[in-house]
Amino acid sequence: MQEVLEQVIAHPRTPLAEPAFEAGGFADHATPLIRNCWYVAGLSSEISRDIISRRLLGVDVALYRTLAGEPVAVRNRCPHRSFPLAKGRLEGDTLICGYHGMQFDPSGRCLNMPSMPVVPTNAQVRSFEVVERAPLVWIWMGDADKADPADIPDTHWLNDAGWKSVSGQFFMKSDYVSMHENLLDQTHFPFLHPGAIGTPEYARSKLKIRREGEVVIIDRALKNSPPPGVYAMPTGLTGQPVDRYSEARFQSPALHVAFAKIVDPKPAPGALSEFRFNITHIFTPETNGSIHYWWFNSRNFDLENKASDEFLHAASAKAYLEDVDALEWILEAVTNDVEQQFDLNFAPDKPGLLMRRVLHDRAAAEAGVTF
Amino acid sequence: MAARHLAVTVAGLRQLTPRIREYRLESIDGKALPAYAPGAHIEVHTGDAAAGPIVRHYSLLGGDAAHDDPRHSYRVAVQREDRAAGSAYIHQHFDLGTRLRVSAPINNFPLDRCDTHSLLIAGGIGITPIFSMARSLARRRRDFTLAYAGRSAEAMAYRAELESLCGPRLRLHVSGARDEGQLDLVELLAAQPDGSTAYVCGPAPMVAATQDAARQLGWAPERVRSELFGVGARGDEVAFEVELRRSGRVFRVGKGTSILDALTAARADVLWDCRRGECGLCPQRVIEVDGVIDHRDRYLSDEERAAGDTLCICVSRIRGQRLVLDA
Repeated sequence: MQEVLEQVIAHPRTPLAEPAFEAGGFADHATPLIRNCWYVAGLSSEISRDIISRRLLGVDVALYRTLAGEPVAVRNRCPHRSFPLAKGRLEGDTLICGYHGMQFDPSGRCLNMPSMPVVPTNAQVRSFEVVERAPLVWIWMGDADKADPADIPDTHWLNDAGWKSVSGQFFMKSDYVSMHENLLDQTHFPFLHPGAIGTPEYARSKLKIRREGEVVIIDRALKNSPPPGVYAMPTGLTGQPVDRYSEARFQSPALHVAFAKIVDPKPAPGALSEFRFNITHIFTPETNGSIHYWWFNSRNFDLENKASDEFLHAASAKAYLEDVDALEWILEAVTNDVEQQFDLNFAPDKPGLLMRRVLHDRAAAEAGVTF
Repeated sequence: MAARHLAVTVAGLRQLTPRIREYRLESIDGKALPAYAPGAHIEVHTGDAAAGPIVRHYSLLGGDAAHDDPRHSYRVAVQREDRAAGSAYIHQHFDLGTRLRVSAPINNFPLDRCDTHSLLIAGGIGITPIFSMARSLARRRRDFTLAYAGRSAEAMAYRAELESLCGPRLRLHVSGARDEGQLDLVELLAAQPDGSTAYVCGPAPMVAATQDAARQLGWAPERVRSELFGVGARGDEVAFEVELRRSGRVFRVGKGTSILDALTAARADVLWDCRRGECGLCPQRVIEVDGVIDHRDRYLSDEERAAGDTLCICVSRIRGQRLVLDA
């Protein structure tokens, strides 16, 4: 706040701009998006020889594959007259703009402009680092020099013979900060998702919250209690007392993963004693108020069971739709209400606030603001 | 989100009584400040390197007897307490043009607009939120009684305004320099119509006595609402040190500063919200203390307090030299 007051003393008539960052601040729907981070541009299955486009962090991106199958991401805007390149066409690995026929290679360099005798040397379209880790294609929208594939979060279970995944996606008109917070909060289950996720005893198990660098982790163990509906059917342990361990991680602005383990202390002969679910939530902000959201429910047992696939897909989609609706309504209220409200915080909000602080500090650092 | 502060400047000050001074604060940019309802207060953030950070809560008066305060201004009244560093600092350092940060209004003491009859009880500087309630009730021509107690007439701020606002509904009670003539709360409550709601703000013994009187008369507990000033300050605080074991940083916590204030002023990474010991966000794990933890919160359970391995750093303190936290 010191910087802001000094600015006002120098220019008393300057209207006080809303400071985006302050010491001890928390990210919200208005916090500038974090660009130096790997986000998912799309699923491997979405990117092909047919060029698609998608707005990521406010920038429109064209996505396609080379003949060799490598994914390519370039800005969906021709440097000549801003024509969307995705509405052009591919010839081999050359992207041809649909307006004046300008041609670009996968690195974004101009190869030819039909109406010019020489190839313009100042014409490039911005190209983005992309790395495919099936079934996901990751993109770096920030400072290209800072893109290090070693920073791409681990999602190996999404492409592993020992795991079976069902998935879905949403395009939501909400902010990604609120979605991360929703996933770090387990006190809403009985109200927003009655019956499906969590059981009454869940509330009595102690939650351990910790922050490790920029990762926020919540740990819960609940022993000797029947599993909730969503786990009961696939494991076949409806009504039976089991031990449940879960670890939910805010891993990066792009990713939240929940690792759940169910242990049957008295398995029938030949039956499994341990069942794991990894639930992966991927958020790529389109803008501050809209998100591309992909989810995956992966299990390491009973991989061929189609009935379990369908059950898990339907139960997950229903619960996540309840979250999507809630957060869309909330953002609608926050952005359209004429009078400002300062939302209240209480003890159960601790994991979400730790995450908001991580995002705030990271966004502030990108903006060059220090405290 | 939680840490939003407003930049204001002192635009007016008025000495109301020998110890009470009124401050009118205005937004530096002239824009409207967030609206509030009777009973609301703001956190005032001030202090300096010598005094350390000072955070105090002051109720918003709302205006004078005739007019509401303009949208870009807040009015508070600060009583200089002998044993409290915060009010002394404010009286000494706040002048016309002083710039400070305040929080948006917070309301732990709202007036129920549907009351059939409101009984307002104020002791000393506790008149400030009660005054804003009286303004609202008088404007809406509701049925109410205001009992205002103080040591001497000269020490009681806003008497003339209240007489004008409340007329016969006002009962002034002067208790004398040594509180010889206590307000008879049982008699006062007993005289109220059935279904009345009481709002009391004043010294802790007066608030407790009101709750006792209500209990004696068989009032339901929720019919007495109260606001206590100086949740943290009792006058018996000692300075001590806090060590954050993980970062190795050591902070001095002065008599007039809370642990939370000392840590946030030094940009330590801690969570907090209400600053009243209610929300449960600020408890930190205690590694060791060479003394006794003085719990002053309302959030922890009796078992948690007795176990001594956590405390609400916004209001609780220690009696000892050093507190070591796992942070």
